[in-house]
Amino acid sequence: MIYEEPRYLPGGDRYMLIEFGNEMNLELNFKAQGLADAIAEQKIKGVIETAPCFASMLIHYEPEEISFGDLQGEMHTLIGSLGPSDTIELDSRLFLFPTVYLDPWTKECVADYIEKITPKQTDPEFVAELNGLEDVQQLVRVHSGTEYWVASLGFWPGLPFLMPLDPRSMITAPKYNPPRTWTPKGTVGMGGAATAIYPEHLPGGYQIFARTPVPIWDTEKRFPAFERSICLFQPADRIRFIPCSVEEFEAIERKVEEGTYEYNIIEYQRFSVANYKAWIGTLDASKRF
Amino acid sequence: MLKVIKPGLETSVQDWPGRYGFWNQGFPPSGPMDSWSLRLANVLVGNEPGDAGLECQFMGPTLEFERDGVIAVTGGDMQPKLDGEPVPLWESLAVKAGQTLALSFAKTGARGYIAVAGGIQTTPWLGSRSTFHKAGVGGMEGRALQVGQSVPVGDGQGRAGRRVKEAARTPISTTKRWEIEVVPGPNDDWIDEAGKERFLSVDWKLSGKSDRTGFRLEGPDWTFSEKAYDKLPEHGSEPSNILDQGYPCGAINLAGQTPIILVNDGPSMGGFINPYTVPQAAFWKLGQSKPGEVYNFKAVSVDQAQALAHAMREVCSEASIE
Repeated sequence: MIYEEPRYLPGGDRYMLIEFGNEMNLELNFKAQGLADAIAEQKIKGVIETAPCFASMLIHYEPEEISFGDLQGEMHTLIGSLGPSDTIELDSRLFLFPTVYLDPWTKECVADYIEKITPKQTDPEFVAELNGLEDVQQLVRVHSGTEYWVASLGFWPGLPFLMPLDPRSMITAPKYNPPRTWTPKGTVGMGGAATAIYPEHLPGGYQIFARTPVPIWDTEKRFPAFERSICLFQPADRIRFIPCSVEEFEAIERKVEEGTYEYNIIEYQRFSVANYKAWIGTLDASKRF
Repeated sequence: MLKVIKPGLETSVQDWPGRYGFWNQGFPPSGPMDSWSLRLANVLVGNEPGDAGLECQFMGPTLEFERDGVIAVTGGDMQPKLDGEPVPLWESLAVKAGQTLALSFAKTGARGYIAVAGGIQTTPWLGSRSTFHKAGVGGMEGRALQVGQSVPVGDGQGRAGRRVKEAARTPISTTKRWEIEVVPGPNDDWIDEAGKERFLSVDWKLSGKSDRTGFRLEGPDWTFSEKAYDKLPEHGSEPSNILDQGYPCGAINLAGQTPIILVNDGPSMGGFINPYTVPQAAFWKLGQSKPGEVYNFKAVSVDQAQALAHAMREVCSEASIE
């Protein structure tokens, strides 16, 4: 649901979480990103930084400069001034990521978790069953059958929070309880309805079933794709996972090590919200690939 | 320059408030766990309160001075000695080239802070000198100090013999028990009344599986309100699962049934609820507590938490020096 009035929630003495709604919906992400842009443009006094996500935005503020109440007032005004998303058209890069689904590395990681932490059904089988898919092969078809929208970056430098743009690829899963203590670098996983790529060997809570050899952050900026930032993605980018074999993965991994890997980025396209909405209006989300 | 003779368990360069402005890309602030102690160490030696100093964890380093200067050691009592002679905490003192400062294990607290007149002058990374260990950035080559390194120090005119007033020093607990302030929210409405009462009344033990990204707590299971069950599938089906959202630094993040306080190097975003948030004025207590010690949480309002931060800012100033 999209709230009529956003909720302004405190996070200790120096954060405010603004919730626009409680569902995964591109509309809400546009509100969050639009508000973050408006705050940056208007240079609201006392705002240190923002972190927009799927349906909410976190603000870090300095209470010596602005009170919670005054900040809420400023935000209410700014949100009111945001235009409708229907008219939004923006440049959107498309990244193609070679990805091994049902790969040996995430299998090993899940087995290690089951052995050392707590028993659970293995992740791809669990997600397939939960979403009424025929088998894990269909999970691969469904998961790789859509473009993903970069809704935000967070958790770890450069980690993208992704939303499937094709409703026929919308699948959901609970997050780990308790979380994993490690996840292989480059793992692709999902929790709730969100997909993410793990930039590094990290703890994590998503169900995992694929891995890509292509780095998504690089403090040394070894590749031209990192010229502007050490994080590859920015909000409003799109990603498509291209299933590949373990052998291809290893070949690409070697190219990455040598510094000769060529990032596959398509940069001429624009994303039209009106076109997108018209398109999804024609689809039957229950028809899986 | 400071030469590292022994690195200690995990000694790192940190400045305050750290790396702000990159939360939307996932970069945490880093910075000192106990900024009260670092800020006053800096004030003692004539630096700005936020200048870079050294944070020493559990077991401090041994450092040789390569030129004359003024230093101060604050925070947990790591029994500092200069050429074998005990050094008082919370006091600035002159050091000569060739002298050695040796810190030992933390007799009280968990973290000691060393400031040097002129400040530590490593190259800033994204606007801060703070070390973010897990990503290998900031500080000295992105990690804790290593044997044989020379830590660069700026020119500074510190004065020896300045002391922090007794009342302005961190009151480190000697009972292995800490009262930690929390502000309810942002997701406190996902917890039922019994769960809220339980959280604020029972003992929570700090787990050994804690580091600068998160402090794990051991205690009873949580119980949830209707909201945690009656939700759309994109949140994830476990009661603690929520549609991914920005995390406040200091959030008590409920991953399944395990509460983790997200601290200075913690994640900026994720899909678990944050029923409570530790305000900045209580961070020093997290920084000075050891695994196995007990937290009791006390709810305060946003206004009260902001007043505490303001009071701390006043304490961390020249007004506290005698």
